[in-house]
Amino acid sequence: MQVTTKNDRSLWEVIGDYFRANSIWMKWYCTGCGAIEMPPTMTSRFDMEQLGMGPMATPRQADVLLITGYLSTKTLRRVIYSYEQMQDPKYVVGFGSCTLNGGIYYDSYATINQLDQYLPVDLYIAGCMPRPEAIMNSFATLIEMIKKGEARGWKHYQENYDWYKANQMDSLGEVIIHDEFHE
Amino acid sequence: MTLMSFVYGFLAILGAFVFQTSLTGINRKVTARLQKRRGPKWYQQFIDIFKAFSKSSITHGWVYDFGAIMALGGIAATVIFIPVAGFQSFPGLDNIFVISYVLAVGMLGMAMSAAGSGNPWASIGVSRALTNMLAYDIPFMVIVFTLIYQHQTGSVSELAALQQGAGIWGWNAFQLPLGGLVAVIALFGMLGKKPFDSFIAPAEIASGPMVEYGGKQLGMMFTLHELMTFIEVSLILNLFFGGGETLWVYLLKYAVLYTFTNIVSGVMPRFKIDQAVTFFYKVPLGLALVQGLLVIFGGWGY
Amino acid sequence: MMTMIILFMIASILFAYVLSLKEPKWGAYATLIVSLAGLVGVSLLRGSVGETVSFYYLHFTVTTIGWYFSMILLTVYFTATFFHPFWMDQLIYPAAYNALFLLSLAGTVGLFFAQDLMTLFICWETAVWSSMLIVQQGKSRQAAWVYFVMSAIGSMATLFAILLTIFMSGTTMITDAFIYFMGSPALGGLVFGAFILSGLTKMGIFPFHVWLPLAHGSAPHTFSPVLSGGLVKMGAYIAYLSVAVFPAYQVFGDQLMLQGVPLPIYALMLLGGVSIVYGTLRAIQQDDAKRLLAYSSVANGGYILIGILMLDQMAFAGGLMHVLNHAVASAAAFLAMAAVAKRTGTTKMSELGGMIHRMPVTYVVYLIAIISMAGIPPMGGFVSKWLIFQGLSHRGLIFLATAAAFGSIGSYLYVFRPLSAVFLGQLAPKYEKIKEADPLMLIGMLLLTAMSLLLGIVPNVVLRTIAQIQIELGIDPIMIKGTITATQNGSVNMLSVFTVFGFGFLLILILFLVLPKSRRVGLMDTYTSAEFIHTPELLHYGHHFYAPFERLYEKWPSVLPLYQRLSLKLKEMGEWAETFFFHAEPNRAVFWMVLLVILITVGGAR
Repeated sequence: MQVTTKNDRSLWEVIGDYFRANSIWMKWYCTGCGAIEMPPTMTSRFDMEQLGMGPMATPRQADVLLITGYLSTKTLRRVIYSYEQMQDPKYVVGFGSCTLNGGIYYDSYATINQLDQYLPVDLYIAGCMPRPEAIMNSFATLIEMIKKGEARGWKHYQENYDWYKANQMDSLGEVIIHDEFHE
Repeated sequence: MTLMSFVYGFLAILGAFVFQTSLTGINRKVTARLQKRRGPKWYQQFIDIFKAFSKSSITHGWVYDFGAIMALGGIAATVIFIPVAGFQSFPGLDNIFVISYVLAVGMLGMAMSAAGSGNPWASIGVSRALTNMLAYDIPFMVIVFTLIYQHQTGSVSELAALQQGAGIWGWNAFQLPLGGLVAVIALFGMLGKKPFDSFIAPAEIASGPMVEYGGKQLGMMFTLHELMTFIEVSLILNLFFGGGETLWVYLLKYAVLYTFTNIVSGVMPRFKIDQAVTFFYKVPLGLALVQGLLVIFGGWGY
Repeated sequence: MMTMIILFMIASILFAYVLSLKEPKWGAYATLIVSLAGLVGVSLLRGSVGETVSFYYLHFTVTTIGWYFSMILLTVYFTATFFHPFWMDQLIYPAAYNALFLLSLAGTVGLFFAQDLMTLFICWETAVWSSMLIVQQGKSRQAAWVYFVMSAIGSMATLFAILLTIFMSGTTMITDAFIYFMGSPALGGLVFGAFILSGLTKMGIFPFHVWLPLAHGSAPHTFSPVLSGGLVKMGAYIAYLSVAVFPAYQVFGDQLMLQGVPLPIYALMLLGGVSIVYGTLRAIQQDDAKRLLAYSSVANGGYILIGILMLDQMAFAGGLMHVLNHAVASAAAFLAMAAVAKRTGTTKMSELGGMIHRMPVTYVVYLIAIISMAGIPPMGGFVSKWLIFQGLSHRGLIFLATAAAFGSIGSYLYVFRPLSAVFLGQLAPKYEKIKEADPLMLIGMLLLTAMSLLLGIVPNVVLRTIAQIQIELGIDPIMIKGTITATQNGSVNMLSVFTVFGFGFLLILILFLVLPKSRRVGLMDTYTSAEFIHTPELLHYGHHFYAPFERLYEKWPSVLPLYQRLSLKLKEMGEWAETFFFHAEPNRAVFWMVLLVILITVGGAR
């Protein structure tokens, strides 16, 4: 699946994209080891805030969803749930090779190999794990993409919702939840 | 009450928003420098707010929206009541109790909207915010009672004007040093600055009352926060630091006071909410009562 | 006119009783019509201040303050009757309920118009007894019993004061009799203390507050608003009589003065302050919405007591106005809870939630009521609390001011609790099907809502009456100019405050509407750290809402065990005394009977 690059924005969207590019709030989903690279990126050494980026507490407030590493199917359910609670426009960034092709877990029964089968990924960061320099670099790229209106994954997800849903269902199946809280 | 009053009122809201939002942006840079970072652009806070307005949003029912409108509306109205360097859009409405209780309309609206989202974290945040208010407001109120007793007026602009003309030593913060200290500590509680920010604890209760806001409601909440900061800092400024003879003096003092709270909070840890209550009822309330008794029975400040 | 009203009320009691025996619902409508007629009738009495009427030993006179209090009581009674038709099938004795309801109404109105002390006492007892019998029809008989014993303590003390006054002064007319004590501080102090005691018990001032949560919490839902909004205010009237009509400030003139307040009166005010703090703290802890509101009545009783005892330009006006504001707000809040209880069958906050999605109008009623109760503009409660604050800070009564501030901010905590736990939050599936309250009930509630709002926007309508009361008492009246309410140290224009607030609201409404429309999502679609939760009850935060704060004082001692021990001792003493007269063997009874006969014979012979 290719991310569409069709670009016919209205004036309001161009202005909106300017604001959205310069203020990116992250919901980082600490799925794997990549999350350990976030604290140095955020704090004094690399100072992510100079790009206008910052962490946010809930998906409702966040603009970008970071999948920081390998993603087990159990977590995938939660990631999808969180992604759908985010407000449009929203972006997904995959961290490291695990989200690209499974990385060292490529043959695991418990993880997914390709994130963009399930969620519309706007940007991948290669590496195992990506260094903060790579993360900062990719964020600069993301900002450029948003500014130009190229980060349209969220739109793609809406347009191809059935395709994504089918993939998600295929991987997750239907689980009937039954625990001490659910009778 | 003429048409011009409303125009001035609107300009006051706009001016307060622009000024405080710029100051917040600058203070984000100050905080960054404290932490040896470069920090964002000075206008970052504007971008954040407008970005929130530009996104799509959800609603959990009419009270979720109504509460947000009531909150921001109430706070915006309170800004109109605040005398800035002696200027008021609606003269005669600056009674200190009126201001502090109109402020409560906004807070109630926000609490209502947050609880209306149905998220338990929002309710926990609201319960902490209200408890926090119960903690900081009592010492502050005691000092306000003392001021009204001493000067026999409850008008904020008159109280500010009474301090002017005698230089720095005319300020209530130096005339009643204990009271001034209490007011500044209470200001930290009002602004939700560390160490009294347990009600928005992001990692613990997912930013508390704000948990369900996204899109335009989040933008409104950010705007509300800026305006509320303006009201609270202005209140302390007018009551204890002499307000301002001219607009520029006022804004300068304001910036210094706000930056001071920001710097102090930058190096503070966080109180649990019950610790905050215990602290406020032990130290500031004690100081406030001592100050009050000294003024009323000891004749201090006459 | 006055005669007609009194006769009409007495006749209507019998009429309502007979009608209710035939068909309880008609009797319920009869109470509605009778209280409306009473309201209209009394409102017409405004012009005839000074008119007096006598029935044998009962003497009534129309006074401004009596008219003011009667109007408040009648308003509360009248709005509560809108609920009666829906509750008749839940009562054991509907006919008795209707008759006693009107009897207590007649008793209270009589109390406010009483000209002499005996009339005052008889009317007082009528109101207390009839309301006690109504409370008994609720959930708990013990509650009625506690209510009665507490009232009896006050009543007996007051009766003692009344008898002493009549004995000493030789007259029963209230105004003439109390003047006698002008020159005798010791005796005057005794009479003052004994007389005000019934007011304190009725208002639920600490430490006599124990009956309030019990009685309010377990009275029939339709009667709780009347108890809290109406009958408690009888205590305020007694407080008024004992400080304004009884020359308390002159009697205690040679006592130690604290900021211009004599020590005994200051001590009473401190009790009021303790009530504010205590009522607030306890209200925060409650789980039953009605008990919470009952404790809030304790706190607000403290404000009223402090205000009335100040007897000055500001706080006194505030206290008197707070009687009205709290009556209206509290009645509305209790009625809203009654409406919820009618639909769901419970008033426990932890069992409710999300009612706003089913009962939006009731929610609005409750919202306006609590805004007024918490003293937030632009509702009525703000004006009265503001006046009390201004008065307290003018005099420099710092400890009372601290208590008042605590009660005011603390009220945000406890009034928000039912708002959040009952009306907001998650809607439990078992309440999915319930409907809004009946239109008739809504009319009654909305009347109170409109009143709260009007009292906040144009408070001077009421303050004009209060100013007249102040003029009659010879103290500086509250200053009213157009829509401006002015005091010595500050003024407020509530109409402007409301306009500016409306302006701010309008601006933001426009902003909100201009921005793109929001998508409606379900209540369960909330952020849960991405955990799947399917049980709305688990996502509802209603238990121990202020847990960290409650923990700070949950171990504090309560006065309740003291009362329990006292009542136990009293019971033991009674049983001990009983053994003198009654026993399984007939000897003792026969002995006392013979003794009695001998005494009668001897006495008769003389």
